[in-house]
Amino acid sequence: MSTLPEPVNLETITGNLADAVLMVDTDKKLVWLNRKAEEFFNAALDKAVGKDIVEITAIKRLRYLLDDVFEQHEALKCSYEEASVKVKKKDERFFFKIAINPVFHQDNLWGALVQLTDVTRFHELEKIKTDFVSIVSHEFRTPLTTIIVGVEMLKEGMLGDLTPRGKEVLEAIGADCERLNRLIDNLMELSRIESGTIYVEAESTDIADLVEEAVRPLKIQADKQGVEIITDLPPELPPVAADFNKAVWVLANLVGNAMRYTDPGGTITVRVRQRGKKHFFSVEDTGCGIPKEHQEKIFRKYVQVSGPGRKGAGGVGLGLAIAKDIVMAHGGEIWVESDIDKGTKFTFTFPVYQEKDSVTLPEADQ
Amino acid sequence: MGKKILLVEDEKNVILGVRTCLDAVGYDVEIVEDGEEALNAVSREHPDLILLDLLLPKLDGFEVLKVLKGNPETAKIPVIVLTAKAEEEDRQRALDLGANNYMTKPFKPQELWDRLKSYLSV
Repeated sequence: MSTLPEPVNLETITGNLADAVLMVDTDKKLVWLNRKAEEFFNAALDKAVGKDIVEITAIKRLRYLLDDVFEQHEALKCSYEEASVKVKKKDERFFFKIAINPVFHQDNLWGALVQLTDVTRFHELEKIKTDFVSIVSHEFRTPLTTIIVGVEMLKEGMLGDLTPRGKEVLEAIGADCERLNRLIDNLMELSRIESGTIYVEAESTDIADLVEEAVRPLKIQADKQGVEIITDLPPELPPVAADFNKAVWVLANLVGNAMRYTDPGGTITVRVRQRGKKHFFSVEDTGCGIPKEHQEKIFRKYVQVSGPGRKGAGGVGLGLAIAKDIVMAHGGEIWVESDIDKGTKFTFTFPVYQEKDSVTLPEADQ
Repeated sequence: MGKKILLVEDEKNVILGVRTCLDAVGYDVEIVEDGEEALNAVSREHPDLILLDLLLPKLDGFEVLKVLKGNPETAKIPVIVLTAKAEEEDRQRALDLGANNYMTKPFKPQELWDRLKSYLSV
């Protein structure tokens, strides 16, 4: 078996990599950088050594990401979004994905290796896709107007009498138009979130109002399905720091999902509890459950879970992805627990309102 | 005689739908298909309310709003924007220019009737 030649230096391993590689000590001072990093940050190795990594790269986020790595003694673990940064260089914008690994010497933490992968092309493609979604959504709205107005007026008998079968067909067309309309709204919402233009204004919000607004429109449908929606809120919960409409959207989406997967006779419980500075909102159903292997990917875009007992979802798998984005934009978390044939419980957290709360979506740049 | 509504819209099918919707509840409807013609029709017809699309030929809906709301003679005519543009910045821009209401397409007839009722009494 071949072994690595001794001594192995960084230049040998990373000198010609397409990624920018920088090594820092625990004070975040540069110890070494490869040619790609020299070239990109316009910093010669001999002049950059000893300087703060943020001074050379102008990537402020590296400071707290390095703090995390030094504190945990582990490689950087965070979402793609958190690890992506936008760097301006003259008139160009570049996107990098950051990876950080701690470096130990004789079992002591010595510093870290920072790797910056250029993902600009990936971001450009994402932008093209987002713009496309936005244009398509616009283009769908106009013809849908004619269809929905026509269907509604025909259904109301304002344009003449219909046979029972005619009414039935119109009801079906109307329901599918609603479905298309929801899909367009979801696509637009996602496109806004992805383009980073959405602004989440977290204000003092009454929890009972929020739950009522989310649940009330769904109760009629739930009654028709024979599913009971129970709300369980302790009295005098302090207000939540939330953007009212967006928080209602998340909760209504989770309850709507639960309704699709719960059989007649089942229940859906919307519960809110406060623990410390967080409110825990949960939506628990007695439905068919989500297989273990699907639970991790359920918050990804365009993912739908199919399987025995799971009815057609009536969407394209955007609802939970949007819900996750909105919850994260509020500084919260969302997760799922589920047992097959027993039910599913989605939980998300929002902060308890404190004076001067105002949350914006995390931006990709500095 | 019913109240007079000026519909500014360039999509033939949407014109048919909205017109049918307005006829059904007894409004008089005048239709124009571009922004310039909208301004002419306002001076000529003195509508009680304007339903205004934003993406229009010749002069877009924002420009039409700017002119109408900048003229004391037409500033008080209620304008409901009826558009496929659902972005918050478009809504805000239209409201800042003086639009009285902003509806995104698609919509149901009842939603339109309710909003018209709040500005007009039939």
